[in-house]
Amino acid sequence: MPETETELVRRCLEGDNSAFAGILESYQDRIYSFALRLLRDPVAAEDAAQEAFVKAFRALSSYNTALPFSSWLFRIAHNACMDALRAGSKTVSLDTEDFPDLPDRSAGVADMVADALDSERIEALLGSLSPLYSEVLLLAYREDMGPAEIARVIGAPEGTVKARLFRARELIKVKLAAVKAVDATV
Amino acid sequence: MNADKTDRLIATAIAALPYRRPSAGFSARVMAGITAGAPQFWLAGVLKGAGLIVTAWAAALAFVSARLAYANFADAAALLIQPGGLPQALNLLAARAALLLSKLAAAVSLASGFVSAAAAGLPAWYEIAAAAVVCSAAIAALSHSGRFARQGI
Repeated sequence: MPETETELVRRCLEGDNSAFAGILESYQDRIYSFALRLLRDPVAAEDAAQEAFVKAFRALSSYNTALPFSSWLFRIAHNACMDALRAGSKTVSLDTEDFPDLPDRSAGVADMVADALDSERIEALLGSLSPLYSEVLLLAYREDMGPAEIARVIGAPEGTVKARLFRARELIKVKLAAVKAVDATV
Repeated sequence: MNADKTDRLIATAIAALPYRRPSAGFSARVMAGITAGAPQFWLAGVLKGAGLIVTAWAAALAFVSARLAYANFADAAALLIQPGGLPQALNLLAARAALLLSKLAAAVSLASGFVSAAAAGLPAWYEIAAAAVVCSAAIAALSHSGRFARQGI
């Protein structure tokens, strides 16, 4: 039976650094993918993921085992990505919420979505969103976190998380409609 | 097809996104990074222990200081209840304080030399703890020296 995260964390705290390899193996793809989809640059994403893991290791003693390890780790990854975005002079307003004006969705948008969104298209749509929005979508649907857990990860109130989720979905629908409209005119 | 279904499609599409794998040397670089700056978890315990020692000795210092003040308060109070005793009481307290301070200063100065030499290279916690010990010992010794101590206290 594989060791649980709690056991691995305990071994790390007892000075067994090799136990961290187990944590790294479990989470490296998830954290790297999360960073990649926010930063949209493989090198920057690797740097941010690496920084997140190293910081997590150094802060292991502060981890509260009553809370999920994944959200604690994603919180560190979130901070690393935000630092990277700021360092790269990419605009990520954390103080003022950037709520773009959304046009009324046409009645046909839902039909335009078709029965399935392929990975390539949704990846492109996520990439076109502000990291603030793509982040909550990824945490909610790819990492299967609830609003409360996402709020802990991004350090924002739960209401803000729900508002961002709603806006993010609406933005995707608007962008889909625009894409379909362009396709129809061609 | 309604909005809920669209939301579900978006959710399903995002949930189905594949995880990307970092480059081959990623794990090795992370492990090298944590090994290079590996935190010494036992150090946290040592620092906490040192903090407790300092706190305990600071409490002892406060206790002996209060005891000394209490011992001298009776003398001052005896003068205060006499007519015109306030200046005398103040003079008494000032003189005792000056004497005690001079002795303390000399004792602490001497002790700090030893402590500085002995604690060189150690964290500041040790020096603070040692200083608290020395001060407590000096005050305790002075308060029992007969001149300042009172019987039964």
